[in-house]
Amino acid sequence: MSTAPILSVRDLGVHYGDRHALHGVSFDVGAGELIAVIGPNGAGKSTMFKAICGLVNHEGVVEVNGVHCHDHADRMDLAYIPQRNDSDLHFPITVGELVLAGRRRFRRWYGRPTAADRAAASDALERVNLAGCEDCALTELSGGQLQRAYVARALAQEASVVLLDEALSGVDQPSTLELLDVFELLAAQGTTLLIATHDLALARRRFTRCLAVNGTLRADGAPTTVLTGDALESTFGSRGHHALAD
Amino acid sequence: MHWLTDPFQADFMQRAFIAAIIIGIVAPVVGTWVVLRRMANLGDAMSHGTLAGVGIAYAAGVNVLFGAMGAGLLIAVLLLAFSSNRRLGQETIITVLGTAFFALGVVVISRLDTGVELTHFLFGRVLTVQWGDIWLNLALGGAAVLVVALMFGELRLATFDHVQAEQVGVRVELVQAVLVMLLAVVVVISLRAVGTVMTVTMLVTPAATARLIARDLKRMTLWGVGFGVSEGVVGLMIAYHLSSAPGATIGLVAAAVFAVVFAITLPRRMPHHHRPLD
Repeated sequence: MSTAPILSVRDLGVHYGDRHALHGVSFDVGAGELIAVIGPNGAGKSTMFKAICGLVNHEGVVEVNGVHCHDHADRMDLAYIPQRNDSDLHFPITVGELVLAGRRRFRRWYGRPTAADRAAASDALERVNLAGCEDCALTELSGGQLQRAYVARALAQEASVVLLDEALSGVDQPSTLELLDVFELLAAQGTTLLIATHDLALARRRFTRCLAVNGTLRADGAPTTVLTGDALESTFGSRGHHALAD
Repeated sequence: MHWLTDPFQADFMQRAFIAAIIIGIVAPVVGTWVVLRRMANLGDAMSHGTLAGVGIAYAAGVNVLFGAMGAGLLIAVLLLAFSSNRRLGQETIITVLGTAFFALGVVVISRLDTGVELTHFLFGRVLTVQWGDIWLNLALGGAAVLVVALMFGELRLATFDHVQAEQVGVRVELVQAVLVMLLAVVVVISLRAVGTVMTVTMLVTPAATARLIARDLKRMTLWGVGFGVSEGVVGLMIAYHLSSAPGATIGLVAAAVFAVVFAITLPRRMPHHHRPLD
């Protein structure tokens, strides 16, 4: 981990009316970290990602590469990949066009993709092992391939930090392992990935750091410390150990 | 051959064909986004609601197209103003606005003492289209197509994934507002030819038919234009020979083409064409 954080979150809080969905979340993230964000359903993992990306109103401070974020223009170094079922897979868009969408931040609203944009999109697809899929429809991809296509879009966006919401849900074991290989490779190349997951065993085996969330940040550290004892119980309640055993 | 060429002989029919072709191009270009964003009910409300502006303009002796444009813009502004209300869904607000404006139009027109019939506005009178209407439609339609062409990338991003669109700098709410304005333009240029009731048919049906066969957005738009133009021309020819209502005949042709394409493409949408398993 480099000394200067690439993403810094201070006292992040979100409330819907009188209900606090999230409060007092603070952490720093360095370049090339592969982080599992764990917590039960409704714990606020998605809310935290959306707040970091400025998609919901929030309290607290978010800094990306040392820049205090006020609006979306300050957060274009972040890429958020929502849960799979949020997208219309039947939308008439090819994989190549999906990935090219990540290049929008580099041109004006009326601009067309340049040769450099297309080269960046091809390169991104290659990095996630989807070279040659440019003309495929989204419905032609498997769940794991689809997640990799979204990651390729984030790479084309040249995002320093990629936030993936439940990227491993509904994906079979071989595809999960392939996805994790891609994530580890990207982390080694300097991209930071925060991945919300319910698979605690996988979080322990394949991630270098865990953020345990339930209304607030319950624990932050290496999987060996977060996925044990009090931290686990504080996040998941008395059934936390069963969750890990499952 | 006379069956094919006869309809093109009279001046009023030539103007009608030109009007139908303009609508056949512009309506699917905008309708593509209406279908993809599942906004067909907004198109319906907008086309019906413009009757209020038409009625008031007619009563005031003003060109009804300006009245339709005014009502369309007012509906658009009210929709954008009210859509922030979370207690009521946008669908509900659209329906309330559309029916209210439509009812106002019916009341105003029914009170007119000029011999004008409500059905003229509901189903259009394409055979009465004048060159002035055509020039106005060309200008408005050309502007609408130009706006869609310039904003194609923004529309695609904001429609497919508005969250990511916001992330990379697209002003999603502005795109939505522009689309609502474009809808108003389509309603205005379709008004005299196919009427307020059938406008939504030209807006939605050719684009929906294109959606069944097109793989990407550009092809969907082009197929939609192809369907829109051919359905307009064929519908007018049939109406000429059968002496049927032109707007409604065009609508029926569009529906028939949709049904045929739906049936032909049905095997492609069967479960074995779905996404492969992991």
